[in-house]
Amino acid sequence: MAQVPLAIASHKRQVCSLYKRALRNLEAWYDRRNVYRYRAVQLRARFDENRCKDLGEGIRLLACGQRELFETKHFQPRNFANSSGGCAYEREVIPPDWLLDYWHPLEKAQYPEYFAKREQRKKEYVTWWEKQYGKPDPKDLGHH
Amino acid sequence: MKYLSICSISFVNLISISFSCFLFSLYFLLNNMVYFIEWEVVSLNSMSIVMTFLFDWMSLLFMSFVLMIASLVIFYSKEYMESDENINRFIMLVLMFVLSMMLLIISPNLISILLGWDGLGLVSYCLVIYFQNIKSYNAGMLTALSNRIGDVALLLAIAWMLNYGSWNYIFYLEVMQNEFEMLLIGSLVMLAAMTKSAQIPFSSWLPAAMAAPTPVSALVHSSTLVTAGVYLLIRFNILLSFSWLGQLLLLLASLTMFMSGLGANFEFDLKKIIALSTLSQLGLMMSILSMGFYKLAMFHLLTHALFKALLFMCAGAIIHNMNNSQDIRLMGGLSIHMPLTSTCFNVSNLALCGMPFLAGFYSKDMILEVVMISNINMFSFFLYFFSTGLTVSYSFRLVYYSMTGDLNCGSLNMLNDESWVMLRGMMGLLIMSIIGGSMLNWLIFPIPYMICLPKLMKFLTLFVCIFGGLFGYLISMTNLYSLNKSLLNYNISVFLGSMWFMPYISTYGMIFYPLNMGQLVVKSFDQGWSEYFGGQHLYQKLVNYSQILFLMHNNSLKIYLMLFVFWILILLNFLLFM
Repeated sequence: MAQVPLAIASHKRQVCSLYKRALRNLEAWYDRRNVYRYRAVQLRARFDENRCKDLGEGIRLLACGQRELFETKHFQPRNFANSSGGCAYEREVIPPDWLLDYWHPLEKAQYPEYFAKREQRKKEYVTWWEKQYGKPDPKDLGHH
Repeated sequence: MKYLSICSISFVNLISISFSCFLFSLYFLLNNMVYFIEWEVVSLNSMSIVMTFLFDWMSLLFMSFVLMIASLVIFYSKEYMESDENINRFIMLVLMFVLSMMLLIISPNLISILLGWDGLGLVSYCLVIYFQNIKSYNAGMLTALSNRIGDVALLLAIAWMLNYGSWNYIFYLEVMQNEFEMLLIGSLVMLAAMTKSAQIPFSSWLPAAMAAPTPVSALVHSSTLVTAGVYLLIRFNILLSFSWLGQLLLLLASLTMFMSGLGANFEFDLKKIIALSTLSQLGLMMSILSMGFYKLAMFHLLTHALFKALLFMCAGAIIHNMNNSQDIRLMGGLSIHMPLTSTCFNVSNLALCGMPFLAGFYSKDMILEVVMISNINMFSFFLYFFSTGLTVSYSFRLVYYSMTGDLNCGSLNMLNDESWVMLRGMMGLLIMSIIGGSMLNWLIFPIPYMICLPKLMKFLTLFVCIFGGLFGYLISMTNLYSLNKSLLNYNISVFLGSMWFMPYISTYGMIFYPLNMGQLVVKSFDQGWSEYFGGQHLYQKLVNYSQILFLMHNNSLKIYLMLFVFWILILLNFLLFM
């Protein structure tokens, strides 16, 4: 299933995507900013050169470009630390509060005081909310 | 309350124990003393279970170093882990790690070594998965499973030790060294040590373990845990010197040194570069140990612990300031932004390279000169010296990328040197990285080694270092108009930058066929035949039988009457025709 494309990308979008990926790849290879800019300008010129070719030629060039990118892909791409693939991505996972509501009653029974207080606080919060913002519209309640 | 945090209390305790251990080690060293302390746990008839501890200058000195580094790392963590949710758990884990290490160091007994050894493995696993992302979990699994091989080897060695009636190996090593059983025990212990010290087939876990927080890397993955293997082999060194085990270890260790030195030159992750450098130094220790110079290995182990812990702490300070970014391509010009940290970083780097009169010089230079006067082949000789050059090369590259030029990160940043707690932690180790080498040299070798060599040979180390530095500069220097050098030699750089594909071999390579086999077994046995005949068929049969029984039960009266009629018919038959 993983190979099934979820959307059909137009030729233009594929070229744009290739350009962006090629730029990121250049960024990984040429780490000094001035050198990277020089190479990026050269890359842009290569793309611009083939701008108004006919579609058949464009498809062939796109395939060539994708192949070239694959063959020169950096073995350790430059990732931002907190983004996907980076070293600090999802370091601290703080479980959301609502998770506790999904505990099994038997699990909840192990901490009776805590859960009694929690239920009490939930009621207090609803009261506070209604006092602050009014009662919800009955139309908005329930599933749609 | 500020002074009563778990970090401060642990720091004070550990540093005071470390200081007393150091004084004791001096006393033991000067008086040439060894203490065996035996504690009889259980004594029943002729059987007695005894816990033994060995205190000599080596164990005490190693202990004092471990405690000192641990105390400074905990002190440093106070600021580094400040914003962390679970700092108490972190400090507890570090303390448990230190305890396991202590047990390992003072044990002359294979069973208690195993206890410490397993403790180290378990705690290091918990520390590697301290951050809860997928990368850490994978790294933790790789670490734990690689170390598990060593644990199993140690268990097998314990089983073989039963031949001698006791696990106090220290009494048997010399007497039994020519026996086959002892050779087996030696090879198993060597395997265990190779997993812990990440030697060649098991190297991939050490760079992966860099997913742990940086203080952990400073303590566990640079100075203590990974040297546990070297320490174990120092204790077992007699078995290595006079058998093929030593030759095998020499080959594997020097290849490790070479591979990791090359890999560090193509790596871009700051912590991984330092991890590979640790691997290279471990290879150096192991290879000199395999040639029988265990005191030199111990010497390098101690000096290396000092400057490598400092190097990791500096890297941590940089990463902390760069908002968790570890890529050296994003750094640059740090000597202007963080001068004090850069100073510490440079001193530890120079000590690593063997700059005269810093800590690394005394041990490294002596090791290389001993290699020159030893009787070894050209291949090993080449690996030793080429790897020394590579060490300088990647250190130079690291400095070039991170300290010089312009900052490659975003233009809005808050790089500064104002983290005083971390800096104070680093300063303690800075002093030790400068004076540690000479101090230990005078302590361990009161009479200096006299090594006579031709002038060119004597200068060889220096030449190799200079060429290494030049090489490092050339590979990292970028020119506006020339193509990237790694891109030009793409296949070679990928091969070298991926540690000779070792991580793939020890993960996908190891698990591919067992996993496929497992899938087949699951499909055709667990969910196939076994399910059909075992689960489903048995169930169906039982259902059928119980249905029959139900039928009989429900119609019992009818059956009874039928049988009654049947027997009457038979009786009538008898009466009428007999």
